[in-house]
Amino acid sequence: MIEVVASMARGPVFLAGELMECLITFTNPMSHLSTSASCEMLAWASAQIHCQFHASESRVALPAQGNKQDVQAESNTVLIPSRGERGQCVLDTPPKILFCDLRLDPGESKTYSYSEIVPIDGPPSFRGQAVKYVYKLTIGCQRVNSPIKLLRVPFRVLVLHGMPEPPFPQDEEVSPSNPFLEEEEASRRDARPLERALDMLMVTTSRRCPHMFNITNMRGKVAKFCIFKTVYRLGEDIIGTFNFSEGDIPCLQYSVSVQSEEEIQEHYQRRPGQVISVTGHGRHMESCLHTASSHFSLPIPLNVTPGFSTDIVMLRWRLHFEFVTAREPMEPPTVLQNQSEVTVWAGAEHVDVDTFSWDPAYQGFAHQPGLGILHVPLFRDQQH
Amino acid sequence: MYFLTGWPRRLLCPLRSEEEPFHIQPSSQRFYFAVLSETQLSVWFSRPSVLIVSYIESAKAAAQFGSYQKAEWKPDDSMIAVATAKGYILLFDVLGGRDDKYLYEPVYPKGSPRVKVTPGYKEEQCAPALSLEMKKPVDLEAPITSLQSLQEDLLVCTADGYLHVLHWDGLGSNGRKAICLTTIPFSLDLQSARGGPSLDLEGVYIRCMQYCVTLDGFAVVLSDGRLGFITPLTTTITADQLQGVWAADVNDGTCVAVNNKYRLMAFGCASGSVLVYMIDTPTGSMQLSHKLELTPKHYPDIYNKTGPVKLICWSPDYSVAMVTWECGGLSLWSVFGAQLICTLGEDFAYRSDGTKKDPIKISSMSWGAEGYHLWVVLSNRRGEGRRSRKEEEEEMVTPPHPSPQAGILQFHFIKSALTVNPCTSNQEQVLLHGEDRLYLTCGDPSQVNSPSDTHPHTHLNPHDGSPLPHPPNPDSSLSQGLSTLLGHKHWHVVQIHSTYLESNWPIRFAAIDTAGQCMAVAGRRGFAHYSLFTRKWKLFGNISQEQNMTVTGGLAWWKDFVVVACYNFTDQQEQLRLYQRSSNLDNAFASVTKLHSDTLLLNVFRDMIILFRADCSICLYSIERRNGSPHPTASVELLQEVSMSRYIPHPALVVSVTLTSVRTETGITLKAPQQACMAESIMLNLAGQLIMLQRDRSGPQVRDKDTSANNKKLLPFCPPVVLAQCVENVWTTCRSNRKKRHLLEALWLSCGEAGMKVWLPLFPRDHRKPHSFLSRRIMLPFHINIYPLAVLFEDALVLGASNETVLYDGLQGPSEPLEALFPYCTVERTSQIYLHHILRQLLVRNLGEQALMLAQSCASLPYFPHVMELMVHVVLEEEATSREPIPDPLLPTVAKFITEFPLFLQTIVHCARKTEYALWNYLFAAVGNPKDLFEECLMAQDLDTAASYLIILQNMEVPAVSRQHATLLFNTALEQGKWDLCRHMIRFLKAIGSGEMDTPPPTPTTQEPSSSTGGFEFFRNRSISLSQSADAIATGKFNLQKTFSMPAGPSAKGRDAECAENMYIDLMLWRHARHLLEQVRLRDLGCFSAQLGFELIGWLCRERNRVARVEDFVSALKRLHKDFLWPFPVTPVGSISSPLKNGRCRAVLSTRLLNSQSADSLLNSDMDTAPPQAASANHSWLDRLEERAKDMDTASSAHSDQHSPQTHDAFLSLLTNKVEEYSVGSATDLTETSSVVDGDWTMVDENSSTLSLSQAELEHISMELANKGPHKSQVQLRYLLHVFMEAGCLEWCVVIGLILRDANVIKQVIGFLDSPEVPQETVQSVQNGLLAVDTWVSTDCLGYKPFLNLIQPQLQELMDSAAEQVQPEAFQPTCQSSKLSGSDGPGGAAVPRAEDSRGVAAPLGLTLPSLEPAGGFPRPPSEDCPPEQTEEQGDEEGAYDCTLS
Repeated sequence: MIEVVASMARGPVFLAGELMECLITFTNPMSHLSTSASCEMLAWASAQIHCQFHASESRVALPAQGNKQDVQAESNTVLIPSRGERGQCVLDTPPKILFCDLRLDPGESKTYSYSEIVPIDGPPSFRGQAVKYVYKLTIGCQRVNSPIKLLRVPFRVLVLHGMPEPPFPQDEEVSPSNPFLEEEEASRRDARPLERALDMLMVTTSRRCPHMFNITNMRGKVAKFCIFKTVYRLGEDIIGTFNFSEGDIPCLQYSVSVQSEEEIQEHYQRRPGQVISVTGHGRHMESCLHTASSHFSLPIPLNVTPGFSTDIVMLRWRLHFEFVTAREPMEPPTVLQNQSEVTVWAGAEHVDVDTFSWDPAYQGFAHQPGLGILHVPLFRDQQH
Repeated sequence: MYFLTGWPRRLLCPLRSEEEPFHIQPSSQRFYFAVLSETQLSVWFSRPSVLIVSYIESAKAAAQFGSYQKAEWKPDDSMIAVATAKGYILLFDVLGGRDDKYLYEPVYPKGSPRVKVTPGYKEEQCAPALSLEMKKPVDLEAPITSLQSLQEDLLVCTADGYLHVLHWDGLGSNGRKAICLTTIPFSLDLQSARGGPSLDLEGVYIRCMQYCVTLDGFAVVLSDGRLGFITPLTTTITADQLQGVWAADVNDGTCVAVNNKYRLMAFGCASGSVLVYMIDTPTGSMQLSHKLELTPKHYPDIYNKTGPVKLICWSPDYSVAMVTWECGGLSLWSVFGAQLICTLGEDFAYRSDGTKKDPIKISSMSWGAEGYHLWVVLSNRRGEGRRSRKEEEEEMVTPPHPSPQAGILQFHFIKSALTVNPCTSNQEQVLLHGEDRLYLTCGDPSQVNSPSDTHPHTHLNPHDGSPLPHPPNPDSSLSQGLSTLLGHKHWHVVQIHSTYLESNWPIRFAAIDTAGQCMAVAGRRGFAHYSLFTRKWKLFGNISQEQNMTVTGGLAWWKDFVVVACYNFTDQQEQLRLYQRSSNLDNAFASVTKLHSDTLLLNVFRDMIILFRADCSICLYSIERRNGSPHPTASVELLQEVSMSRYIPHPALVVSVTLTSVRTETGITLKAPQQACMAESIMLNLAGQLIMLQRDRSGPQVRDKDTSANNKKLLPFCPPVVLAQCVENVWTTCRSNRKKRHLLEALWLSCGEAGMKVWLPLFPRDHRKPHSFLSRRIMLPFHINIYPLAVLFEDALVLGASNETVLYDGLQGPSEPLEALFPYCTVERTSQIYLHHILRQLLVRNLGEQALMLAQSCASLPYFPHVMELMVHVVLEEEATSREPIPDPLLPTVAKFITEFPLFLQTIVHCARKTEYALWNYLFAAVGNPKDLFEECLMAQDLDTAASYLIILQNMEVPAVSRQHATLLFNTALEQGKWDLCRHMIRFLKAIGSGEMDTPPPTPTTQEPSSSTGGFEFFRNRSISLSQSADAIATGKFNLQKTFSMPAGPSAKGRDAECAENMYIDLMLWRHARHLLEQVRLRDLGCFSAQLGFELIGWLCRERNRVARVEDFVSALKRLHKDFLWPFPVTPVGSISSPLKNGRCRAVLSTRLLNSQSADSLLNSDMDTAPPQAASANHSWLDRLEERAKDMDTASSAHSDQHSPQTHDAFLSLLTNKVEEYSVGSATDLTETSSVVDGDWTMVDENSSTLSLSQAELEHISMELANKGPHKSQVQLRYLLHVFMEAGCLEWCVVIGLILRDANVIKQVIGFLDSPEVPQETVQSVQNGLLAVDTWVSTDCLGYKPFLNLIQPQLQELMDSAAEQVQPEAFQPTCQSSKLSGSDGPGGAAVPRAEDSRGVAAPLGLTLPSLEPAGGFPRPPSEDCPPEQTEEQGDEEGAYDCTLS
């Protein structure tokens, strides 16, 4: 028996274009004291990164792909990293051989380091309702005269849009003036993409620019809403404020949800005009009758995928608002002091209400002044 | 602990009125709030926060009663008493609270597609309908000063000095009693003689009063400012049964609030501070516990301008107090005085543009349910409190203002789960809960979430092909402690499931499991739990099960079970229930144990549950997991019951109860560390007093074996011992770690303003018998800057949280919404190290051994160096700045302590660099001379630290000394290739030189901090802060740059000095370059020149006929192979004729490849090649002598030529040209050239292969191509070839040509040899070298043979031309001699006198006298031959200047 352990010291989250490093340890777990212990041989081991795409049959119509799989693929002595995986492999890196002819004595273990640039042009890891993109590092190894065994290490890839592409290593690298300076340069360059990405994230997401919205329905003004940013990092809180004191229509309750919409591109839709699937990621609900001003803060989960689009799917983020408003504009009663009689004011038992929803991103009240499209693209801050 | 979040919410009264509210009073459960304005009583609901009912007085009644002033609720919420200005008590019946009538129920339009936003909206989101009815007023005939609701009675104080006791129900005169204050005897304590009524109470009345249940008495503030406490001696309040005590020496009291849980009375004073008193039980006197005061350090502007304390409000759980002053502002304090928030400073007080805001003035405030909200009624912002009647009447004429802005604010808080549920199932994670969400610290959730993702296992066993499921390992989170808990600053925020929240608001308890993955919350009814694995909440499937139980005693996790102490409404009994996490949340899967009494607290220790019950007894239960049925269950068994009623006066006083493994004697646990995990003692926090009950082990110890053999008979407990006072929280762990016993077996306490305390075990060293005088544990207090919420035991860290603020003002123009008035509050994760405090305290107490053991156990922590540095720094600052002399300074002890650790040198220098210069003398007097420390660093090869010491030396010593040390360091850095350091040293040396001229030598004794060199300026102006990162290497470099980038003196004198400095540095660089070249370290030479910008070509030109010669081609070639990782060429097996040679060649090759990194491979290969040459050397030493003499002639003539100005000039012009060309086009030119050459090379190869014709040759070449070294090495070699070619160092060109196997290069060089400029000896050297290589190749490295064959024609040509000039026999001896000198080159570097060593090493004593001058000749000039050096220096300096200008 040989035990294979893969460990990613940096954790399982990577930016596209970043260097992934993984230590793979092969151990013969038999104690050298045990009588039945014998040395183990492995013919070879290799590792590669691949991205699996899986689509729901009922929502995505993929063009029929000819079963071009190699005949040899049937035999499991051929290395196919995606063997046994659902869906199709949309992206893979060339396999790297870790070793050939490894002999492990009882109790012995050997560790190999695998490193590869996570492809920059792939989709991010995404687990949606209609499609899934899953990244894996697959380590294949084989004993002589045995089928290939695969070890899969799933990891998460985040894609940052608008990031300048890092120069391709080796080929385009800017040669230093002196070949003896090279080593230092190389080590510096390693840290650069991540740093650059984080800088860009900080710049994009820390800019505050309040957007004000007057929320009205057909009966009058309900509230004023203010949101301070439209671009957020993963893990951040979306903060917005409501001011009801200037409204004409009493609002009994509001709710705000963070939602992601997953839209299948037109050619791939199973049915024409099929509904966009919406997923909720957090909701704030508040009773706001007799409230002049209030705010909400909704955490963006760390495990979600920022908005992206491929030729099959598009993911967008939005805030979805719902309001329960009174049907009658209530003129607040004025209480006059020093009346001859005692006055007891009590709240109404029933309030006739209407419910409204507001999705600024795609169904926005376009005719309302000051209303724009609310983008909530989300980014992940990698390290703190 | 409590933290403010977000912005406050502003409520809007739906009734328009020009009266403004000024008083708010919560009902007992805090679900209703009575809000008073002058003639109006309103009742608000808590959630949703809406107005239920409002009672507006008629004009006539208002005139009769006067305006409303204060309100009180009857404890069952059925009545409200309102005190009016004219001495009336108005009693209102609150009707309808129990009916099922609701207000503001939304009615959705019929046929609406969307029904309701929230399921269950009607019941949960509506306010109950209430109405108010006034009963007959009670006239007390004097202004009412204070109102206090008791269970059955209402206690009213009036300004005529009376205390009225009114019965809530029995109104009228028969239901009331009046007690005159003057009849109550007051004294300083209850023991002193009970005198009669105090005479000085005439005309004094009670201004403020509050009843404390657990003290059974009234805390009062009298109208003259005195503070007192009145106890009824019997159960009923009657005049002659009251006794009072004074607080000594206070007469500016303003208000009071009592803390029932901790038995404290907080009195506000006119001075602005809050005095917190406790009752000393034996004497009954009032004792000051602590004060709540703003410090001048943190609040310099406002600390003495706050005005009198206006209000104090304890939170519902009594763990924090909110204080406000007349001038406004809110401040939050923990029960024992740790300050958490104050809105009088920073972002609360200043706008982003720096202008000051008016602090919010508060007229009344009260905490909402469970302390999630603070309801605050603001004073009229337009100035004076209430307007006069007249003004109001005037305003009556004008129409009322539209909704007034001043109103009720709701501040939101989140609090630590420990405040209400101090259970220890997780002591290492911070869990906070807000009204609707949980905040927890955990590492990257995805990382912790899926340990199998990061470390997947697979077994390649043929019949176990699938990867094993990786069970969540509780230890994994512990071992990763640092990375996961400190990794990033994000909170993991979990929103509580809205369905559960809406029907069970407010959340009362929250708990998290050991791994930090599962949470549970309990609200009004039932509970729910959440798992980070699935990111899902689990609620009761059956809502009636949820609604039929309420968690009373808290909840905790035990493994994957939720343990709850609850009350079952159906069976009307207290129960202990365990629910398994993975099965459905249903009573069918729960294990239920009936309890006999109400549970107040619950805790878990290993496999034990500990309960504290309302009858003041403690019960221990064992839990056992049973896997039998489809769902795992747990069985609970009662182990022990301990009655505590003797020690506990009131069950509500118990803050927490914990089982621990802590014992006072560590001797027992020392022998058997596994015992450390046993439940040895109970820790009870009784109103801040930490009480410990140990198991009684005084009986025969044989019983130990019985207990281990599963005999459940447990030892009884000893009587309690008080360990500490003022304790807010306690942390222990049941883990054990042999290496960190100090930290793991300690008890950690947080004590409010006193910081933290640790009860540290002391271990005898080396298992020696402990000293009898050495106590076994020691309590050490230490201060930390954060509020502690969790202790990471192994990591020696405290985790906490602190409030941070973000300003959002200035974003929205002129209008002032709340966002502009208040900053947005967030809660940040913080952590703090404390080890230095503990170590220091141990050292102070002469417990150095213990300190050493503790420190050694933590030495592997990443921040350990920082700990050491902090310790030195703190002690240094304290002792060096102390005004009085310190009799027994600690610094020497600390210094001695740190020398025990390898990082001593860094610690001292980093600390010095962060300390003012003025303290350095003190520091180095204690730790040793910086010169010695510098030398120690050099010896330890710690150059970066040495560089830091150089800064110290520069400032403390004369320039000569620092230059001397700098030179030492520079040379070492050069040798080790620390290029960054070299660059800094160059700057440093230059700076020293120029600084030397115009500043007096700074000596430590005379140096005033005011004297200024650049370095001094820098250090003096630098602010010293410890918050600066400890990354001292980076700072060190930064400092170096800063210090040395000062401009050189503008005077001509300064420039001269600079030139001298440059010269000095150049000399050192040249010497190093020579040294490298002598040792054939071409790769190092390349790096050296590239990194330090050393002009290689120019220098080589000058050294062309000196050190830049190759003395032994073979060893040079081998060295290059080794340094550039260049494989030796291998010939195809077929082409080698002799099998023997083949075998030998192989062997050498393989050893070389294996040992390519180790230095001795070169030596070995030398040994291999030595014998044949030595043999050939024997035959004509006489010839060689002759040859030598000739050699000497030519050499000396060349030498003298060199010294003639003409020749030198020629060289110079060459140098300048090259330099210019080189430096201008360096970035692109050279690389282009090299790449072009690269291309040429392959082409040449192809050509040669076509020339050589045969198929075998072709194969051969392809094989050689495969034997090529790394691409980088090739580029570097090509670059060097280019450099040597430019500099005319033909011998080196040949060597590199050989290694690159580039026939063109060889051809070119041999072509050059013909030219008359090339000295004859170069030609000879090349010839000899090639011959030697040929010999070597034939014997040892056949792989080169094909290449040598390829250049055979050129070689032949060279030999032919040489034969004309020199006799061929001479070749070998010369070769031998040069080989010798080459091989002792490395030795020469270590010994200062190269000539001497050479002479000694020379094997032939005979040749010594005649050889000596010759031997000195080809060697570079060094400092050992001064006359030559000075001469040369002069020349070269001129040359250098010339180049520059």
